Amino acid sequence: MGDTCRKALERLYAYLDQELDEASLDEIRAHLDDCPPCGRSFSFEERLHIVVKSGLREDIPPVVIERLRAAIRNELA
Amino acid sequence: MNPGPTHYECVALPLSYSGWVGAKMLPDGWGASSDARGSTATVPAGMADQADFEDDAMQFAPQLYTAALRMARNPADAEDLVQETFLKAYRAYGSFQAGTNLKAWLYRILTNTYINKYRRDKRRPTESDLGDVEDLYLYKRIGSAETADASRSAEDRVLDGLVEGDIKGAVEALPENFRMPVLLADLEGFSYKEIAEILDIPIGTVMSRLHRGRKALQTSLTEFARDRGLLPDTTDEGTYG
Repeated sequence: MGDTCRKALERLYAYLDQELDEASLDEIRAHLDDCPPCGRSFSFEERLHIVVKSGLREDIPPVVIERLRAAIRNELA
Repeated sequence: MNPGPTHYECVALPLSYSGWVGAKMLPDGWGASSDARGSTATVPAGMADQADFEDDAMQFAPQLYTAALRMARNPADAEDLVQETFLKAYRAYGSFQAGTNLKAWLYRILTNTYINKYRRDKRRPTESDLGDVEDLYLYKRIGSAETADASRSAEDRVLDGLVEGDIKGAVEALPENFRMPVLLADLEGFSYKEIAEILDIPIGTVMSRLHRGRKALQTSLTEFARDRGLLPDTTDEGTYG
């Protein structure tokens, strides 16, 4: 693994979290295009990130919403 | 997929944000409320109207409930947590600067309420408690790094085979110091700056906890994947073919 690969990997999460400035983003994108192993690993991490995000979702039961509204109104009264 | 700097712009918080960031929310009651009430008299403009609270805040109830569930790890405590959060927020709403980040403010109250009330283990895990996990832990266990040709289908097998319960279990197993930043980032998409303000920790700490938390998450997910038979039996490299 070269220095550029290591530098890219260090910024993997900042990349996934969309926290990179334009210059760093261009640098990483250029590297991912040039380096198939990094391109593959980043693409896996990107997909895993999506799986994690969607796996955490949950619906709030309507009755919980009703009880919450009731609690607020009770406080208001 | 990465919009770049525009992301910073759309989450940039107005100066007045620091009004609540500086306000300490202590275990017993709302530390900021008495100060805020005093200043409301002199600076009425821009303050939120308590009568609008339900209209303004209820839209965030579903997401706060989801976060509460991943924090408290059971529905009864999660509901209590959300109710307590909304009631605290309602009582303090007069001190909230209208037009600033209401969602982040509610999350700050939620996380503080959780930490003060529901945290059973008062010991705060240190950075080293998670051990040192290598980068791309799960990816390397799939064998993708070595066998590019077979990689895509093996990756699909893992990514499609992990079920919601695995993800939730893996996140809930994280020590709280790491679970909170991961939840705020992955569930809510808060920026590092917002997470720093919600949890009242430096941005560098947010980044390091996210980094270590996600690496720990990968070791748990690897175990789930292995239990489900989604990974090659051996993790030894070079045995392929």
